[in-house]
Amino acid sequence: MLQKKVCMLGSFSVGKTSLVRRFVESIFSEQYHTTIGVKVDKKVVRAVSQDVTLVFWDIHGEDVFQKVQISYLRGMSGYLLVADGTRRQTLEDALALATRITETMGKIPAVLVLNKCDLTAQWEIEPDRESKLAADGWRVFRSSAKTGESVEEAFSQLTLAMLKQ
Amino acid sequence: MPEQAQRRAPIPPTPESQPEDKQALDELRHLIVAPEQEGLQEIRERLDSKERRAEDVSSVVAEAIQMRREQGDDQALAEALAPTIQETLRESVRKDPQVLADALFPVMGPAIRKSISETLRTMLESFNEALEHSLSMRGIQWRIEAFRTGKPFAEIVLMHSLLYRVEQVFLIHRETGLVLNHVVAPSVTTQDPEMVAGMLSAIQQFARDSFKSAGEETLGSMNFEEVEIWIEVSPDAVLAAVIRGHAPSDYRLAMKEALENIQQNFSSALANFKGETGPFRAAGDRLHQLLESRFKEKQGGTGRPRAAMVAAGVVLAIVLGWVGYSSYLLWEWSRFLAALRQQPGIAVISVNKSGGRFRVQGFRDPLAPDPGKLLSEAGFDPKKADLELMPFYSVDDVIVLRRAKELLHPPTGVRLSEKNGELRAEGVAPSKWIAHFEERAPWIAGVNSIDVSHLQNTDRIEFNRLKSALESAVLVFPLGRTELEPGQEATLGQGEKDLQALIIQAERLGGAVTVDIVGHTDSTGVEAANLPLSRQRADQIFNVLRRAGVKTASLRPRGVATSEPLRTEVTEEGRRYNRSVTFKVAFSPAPPVH
Repeated sequence: MLQKKVCMLGSFSVGKTSLVRRFVESIFSEQYHTTIGVKVDKKVVRAVSQDVTLVFWDIHGEDVFQKVQISYLRGMSGYLLVADGTRRQTLEDALALATRITETMGKIPAVLVLNKCDLTAQWEIEPDRESKLAADGWRVFRSSAKTGESVEEAFSQLTLAMLKQ
Repeated sequence: MPEQAQRRAPIPPTPESQPEDKQALDELRHLIVAPEQEGLQEIRERLDSKERRAEDVSSVVAEAIQMRREQGDDQALAEALAPTIQETLRESVRKDPQVLADALFPVMGPAIRKSISETLRTMLESFNEALEHSLSMRGIQWRIEAFRTGKPFAEIVLMHSLLYRVEQVFLIHRETGLVLNHVVAPSVTTQDPEMVAGMLSAIQQFARDSFKSAGEETLGSMNFEEVEIWIEVSPDAVLAAVIRGHAPSDYRLAMKEALENIQQNFSSALANFKGETGPFRAAGDRLHQLLESRFKEKQGGTGRPRAAMVAAGVVLAIVLGWVGYSSYLLWEWSRFLAALRQQPGIAVISVNKSGGRFRVQGFRDPLAPDPGKLLSEAGFDPKKADLELMPFYSVDDVIVLRRAKELLHPPTGVRLSEKNGELRAEGVAPSKWIAHFEERAPWIAGVNSIDVSHLQNTDRIEFNRLKSALESAVLVFPLGRTELEPGQEATLGQGEKDLQALIIQAERLGGAVTVDIVGHTDSTGVEAANLPLSRQRADQIFNVLRRAGVKTASLRPRGVATSEPLRTEVTEEGRRYNRSVTFKVAFSPAPPVH
């Protein structure tokens, strides 16, 4: 059985937990976020003709008050960087976090998810910016935890990237 | 080395080279490398030849295995040999099962016996346990707890009787927090091990980060309510044991040893872990050894078998009691039936028992005892039996006698008896009852004849008594006179009373009485004078009696002079008695004229 540790990273209230909730089975209450800053969930996916158990560490949002504990990221095979498409700052924070990760842990498979794509009116990320990110090597997804759009796809792309590693 | 040797092997001569030079070179080469070349040749032959290689290995193979085993409890050898041995065994069985069967025979028997006895012991223990817990006060409390918490009763029992039990052991990859292996004690419900392991790691790191512990210090244990989680950490792995209750401190040592062992045996798999948990399946045995449990000592020790024995005893007593009671009832019932059959005036035709009710059909004389009462006396509830007894007249001696007594009301002094239809009356009875008896007894059902030969008539007895009293009375007269001697009044008075009673008694006997008043004289004087004198004397008494109210119809005065003397006249006293009046009573049974 193949297992992979996957971290969910992103600022406060960008919808990480909602994304995970759409995707996984869970036994722990969301109170864990506020107590120890992390909640562990699981999903078994089928990729490249084998079952892979993804163990998600949904890490409490990074913001000006709280820095992500890098120790929680140890041993991860990949991560899902989540930003809120209606708040540009969350994308900047996410990318800063990604940089910090690469600096401390090296290059790790990741996907970038621009969440809340259902809220098109408030969308703050220009298409140019997205193309630029893609050019920088990011796998970028516009997703919506509300409608479920691109959620599965983002996770499976990440899984494939991790398996190639 | 072999390659070098090859490179330095003699170069075959070429047609272009100078023959002299070549020869000299060959000689030189031969001088320099010949011994080495021969040695190399031999080594080469040895390596090329399979037989030689096998020969070499065969001489050390046993020592090599021995040496490896002595190096420690390394599983590698066992793991390497396991597939071959398994295959060998399979092949052996396939070819001839008898060989292996013969070899295993001495161990199979004891193994099977041990397994069976162990199973039985466990069964008995759990039976005892269940019995004890379900019978005791504590058991009832636990039942309530089980009901309240919604947990199975068995789990509650386990929770309370357990000193400690290691329910789960996690082997976790330290860096990723991914679970490498996970073992669970039987009948323990678990959460998803991957998520639990992840969370455990997260908590570990949280603790480390929160308390800013420098370096590699780790959380040793966590506890909540009755569960403790003990954690041991090695460079690449984390061992976490979920323990219900309180494990002794030496369990920590066992964990350390197991983890060291795993770290040593799986060091490269741990270091190169990329999420593939397959290699760590082999650590399962080591982890299973950590799943231990210890139960609380039972107070009193012998309590458990006693509980079973008491329960078995109670059951046995109930069964025996029931069987005994049923047999007793049947026995009582048959006894009652026998008694009923012997009961005069009751004829039993059929008996059966259905649905716990007894049913008796037959006949009963109204004078026979009440069967319901007999039933009660035998200890049965009359409501549980149906007695269908039709009335009839029994000719049983006892019943006939009883019937005769009911109908004839015999007076005290009369004893009735009956045998084969003959009713006999004995004793004394008034003539009226005797007549009643003689008239009615032959009509009674079951009476064919009567016997009164031993029955005395009280009226006749009285009559005879009065008769002899009267006839013995002697009324004495002075010489030649017709008036009684002085002092005879009392005798006359008694005679009169007796006479009156005699007349009444004669009537009771249904007949008539005739009383001769006989006048006597002594032999002095002439007969011609004595005869009238005797008659006068009789008349004198007749008149006295008539005056006293005695019915004269029955009285016949007559004079007999000296013809019927009472005594011989040798003395004056004799002569005196002959100057008298006496009575003579006669009874005629002819019915009185109405």
